[in-house]
Amino acid sequence: MLLEFSYTEQRDSMKKKFPITNKVREYREGKGVMTQSELGALVFVTRQTVAAIEQGRYSPSLETAFRIARVFDTGLEDIFCWDE
Amino acid sequence: MSFQEKSAYVMFVVLLLGGSLYFYEVLSQSMGLEGLISPIIPGLIKLTFMLVIMSIIGHIIIAAISPKEAAAKLDERERQIFNRAGSISGLILGFVVILSLGSYLISEDGSLLFYAVFAGLIISQLAEYATRIFLYRTAR
Repeated sequence: MLLEFSYTEQRDSMKKKFPITNKVREYREGKGVMTQSELGALVFVTRQTVAAIEQGRYSPSLETAFRIARVFDTGLEDIFCWDE
Repeated sequence: MSFQEKSAYVMFVVLLLGGSLYFYEVLSQSMGLEGLISPIIPGLIKLTFMLVIMSIIGHIIIAAISPKEAAAKLDERERQIFNRAGSISGLILGFVVILSLGSYLISEDGSLLFYAVFAGLIISQLAEYATRIFLYRTAR
């Protein structure tokens, strides 16, 4: 039991959770047929970066985050959330 | 996979192949000798030529597959990946150079110093491309 607890603690500490979550995919899919490439072109990042943002593997810069919010005509905090 | 990631794969393979062939030749030619053969300019020219040709061919192929991406500038995530990979590469190169200098103080073998630093350069570049690939796959 002691060994199991140590393993779980170690595993959880290795899974660094990103504090910022986003709803980019929801907004993009909600806007009809906007692809990741199209969104990327509008905010000057690659399709792969958009994919990384949607998967929570990358936090965009403030500038890019604002651009994304402007594309969807919404506020920054509607799309990006600080999740503790 | 982005163009830059494909480019990193191309360069990794080219450098690994080129570097391996070069040092294989050096070690083969050094067999039976007391130390390593002296570095010779024609061998280096041959390696450089081979690396340039292979990387050009590789990049032509990947650019033909995705021409729009090939022409695009680095975006913010890619710049971060490049910076982080470059930083790691620099550390490795620095470490190898110091190690090589230290080994020269002991061995006083100039050829060994040359090959050690040269190998360090290749290893650091391999590390840079490997780090880029890793960060492209997993980067946060």
